[in-house]
Amino acid sequence: MSVELIGLLVTLFVLSGIGTPIGYAIMLAAVVYLGMAGLDVALAGEKILQGFYKSAILLAVPLFIVAANIMNAGSITDRLLAFCVAAVGRFKGGLGHVNVVASLIFSGMSGSAVADAAGIGKIIISMMTRDGRYSRGYAAAITAASATIGPIIPPSIPMVLYALVSNASIGALFLAGILPGIMMGIVLMIMNCYLARKRGFAMEEPVPLRELPRKTANAFPALLMPVILLYGIYGGVTTPTEAAAVAAFYALLLAMLFYRALSWRGLYQVFVDSARSSASVGIVIGGAFILNFIVISEQIPQAISAMLDGADIHPLMFLLAVNLLILLLGCVLDATTIILVIVPLFIPTCKALGIDLVHFGVLVVVNSMIGLITPPYGILLFVINAVTDIPLREIIAEIWAFLAVLIAALAVMMLFPDLVLWLPRLVGYSG
Amino acid sequence: MKAAFRWFSRLADMIAAGLLAAIFVTFLLQIATRYLPKVITHFDLDYFPALTAIRPLGWSLELIGILWVWVIFFSCAFVVREQDHVKFDIIYLWVSRKTRTIFTIVSAAAIVAGMIYALLPTLDYIDWMKIRKTATVRNPITGGKIPMRTIFSVYGGFMIVVAVRYAWLAIDTFCHGPPKTELELAVEADAPKAKQ
Repeated sequence: MSVELIGLLVTLFVLSGIGTPIGYAIMLAAVVYLGMAGLDVALAGEKILQGFYKSAILLAVPLFIVAANIMNAGSITDRLLAFCVAAVGRFKGGLGHVNVVASLIFSGMSGSAVADAAGIGKIIISMMTRDGRYSRGYAAAITAASATIGPIIPPSIPMVLYALVSNASIGALFLAGILPGIMMGIVLMIMNCYLARKRGFAMEEPVPLRELPRKTANAFPALLMPVILLYGIYGGVTTPTEAAAVAAFYALLLAMLFYRALSWRGLYQVFVDSARSSASVGIVIGGAFILNFIVISEQIPQAISAMLDGADIHPLMFLLAVNLLILLLGCVLDATTIILVIVPLFIPTCKALGIDLVHFGVLVVVNSMIGLITPPYGILLFVINAVTDIPLREIIAEIWAFLAVLIAALAVMMLFPDLVLWLPRLVGYSG
Repeated sequence: MKAAFRWFSRLADMIAAGLLAAIFVTFLLQIATRYLPKVITHFDLDYFPALTAIRPLGWSLELIGILWVWVIFFSCAFVVREQDHVKFDIIYLWVSRKTRTIFTIVSAAAIVAGMIYALLPTLDYIDWMKIRKTATVRNPITGGKIPMRTIFSVYGGFMIVVAVRYAWLAIDTFCHGPPKTELELAVEADAPKAKQ
C-alpha cells in the first residue's frame, strides 16, 4: 500500500467520520492523494467532469427522482392505499398486509425507499395506530421493512448506480429485481400474519367486495406505470434512460390531468426538490468517479483477486463473505456509498469466479436496502422516526423479526441464482 | 442583506429547477422526434411540409450531458443545503454540542483548504479545455460549436462558491454553534402539524 493511498484513506475516514458530506470528503481525499503522489490535482476535477459528461445512463437518476416526487405530491398514494385496503385489508393482520402490498405497488413507481417511507409510510402508520389497534413500534417497523422493497422492483435508482459501476445491463437488472421483490413482500406478509395471530391484532372492517372494481379502476392508471416502463425498455421503444423520462412524463400526466391533484406551483416545487436531491446524490457519484480512477491506478481489484485466487475460494463462499461484509457495512453506511465505493472493488473477482453480474447486482442492492433498516444506522428508521415522532427505541425493538425474514430471503436469492435470473433469461439475457 | 440573500436563493432555485426541466423536455423531444416521422408516414400526413421536416435530433444527447453537469454543480453551489448532503453522521449525532461545533469547523476548514489548494490547477485545466469543442451542440446565436471551457466553467464557479460557503459556515458555527441536523429540522417542521 503506497503512502499516498494511506493519506487518502486517513483523510477520507477522518473527514467523513466527523460528518463532512461524503462527496466532498472523497474529493478532498482525492486531492490529498494526487498532491502526495506528485500528480496534477486538477485530475480530480477532470475525472469528475468527464465522468458526468460521458455517462448518459446516469441521467436516469434525476428523472426517476422527478417521477417519484411527482407521485408523492400528486395524491396518487391515497388512491393506491384505498385499493390495497379493499384488496387485502380483510385478512388477519389486515393493515400490515396493506402496508406491504402498498409498498410493492408503489415501489413500481418511485424507485426510492426513502420516498416510499416518507410518503405512503406516514399515512399508513397513522391508520395503523389509530384506536391503538397496532402498537406504534410495530406499525413503524413493518413500514420500514416493507419500504426496503421499493428499489428492488423497477424502477430502481440503486440499480442504475450499480449498472454504472459494473457495466451490467440495466434492463436485465430491472427484470431480475421483480421476483426477489415479490418474494420479500411475501415473507414480510407471512411474518405479519404469524405475529398478528400470536398477538391477536384486531381485524379491519372488510370493504364490501362489490366496491373493489371501482377502487381498482381508480388506481388502475397508476398501476400501469411499471408496465409502461418495462415495455419501453424491452419492447425496444426507448433506452432505459429515456424510459425514466417517459415514466416521469406519465406520472405528470396522471397527477396533473387525470387526477388533477398537482398544481403548477406544486410542480415547480417538485423540480426544485428533485434538483436538490439529484445534486446531493450527484456529488457522491462524482466522488465515486475519481475514487474509481485511483482504485484502478493502485490496482486494488487485482490485489483482491490475487489474494482470493491463492485461497482457491468457492464462488458461494465469496458471495457469502461479500454479503456478510455489506450487511455489516450497511449497519453504518449509506446504500449509495456502499454501491458506488465498496462494490466496485469486488466486480473483477466476481468476473473471475464466474459469478453472474446481474445476480450479484440484485444481491448487492437487496442487501444494501436491508442495510437501510439495520440498527444503529438505518436511514429508514430515522426517516420514520422524524416524520411520525415514534421513538427509535420502539421501532428497533420491533424490527428484528422483519429483519430476520428479509435476510432469510436474501440467503435464498444467493443460493438460487436461477430464481433471480429466470425473468431476464426469459427475454433473452444470456447469463 | 437578508432579503437580498433570500431573493438570490429563490432565483437559484428557479434556475436549478429550470435546468432540470430542460433535461426532461429535451429527453421528451428526443423520443418524440424519433417516432414522429414514422407516425407521419403511417398516417399519410406527408403532404404537410412542416410535418415532413421533423427529423430525429442529433444534438439532444450532448445537450442533456451539458445540462446534467450544470444541474449538479450549480445546485451543489447554490441550492443544496447543508442537511441535504449524504453524510455518515453516527458519530456526529452521538457527540455533545460542543464537540459538534469543533467537528463542523474542522470539516468546513478542510473543505475550504482543499478547494483553494486545487482551485488554480483546476482552473488551468478548464481554461485549457478551450481547444476542445462540443461535437454536436451549437451556440444558437452565433451558430458555432461551444468550447468545453464554457461548459466546464461551472465547476470552477462551484469550487469558489463552496469554499466561500464553508468559510461562512465555519465562522457562523464559531459564533453561533453548529447548524441544525436533518432530524432536528424535520421534527421542527412537523411539530406545528402534530399539535393541531
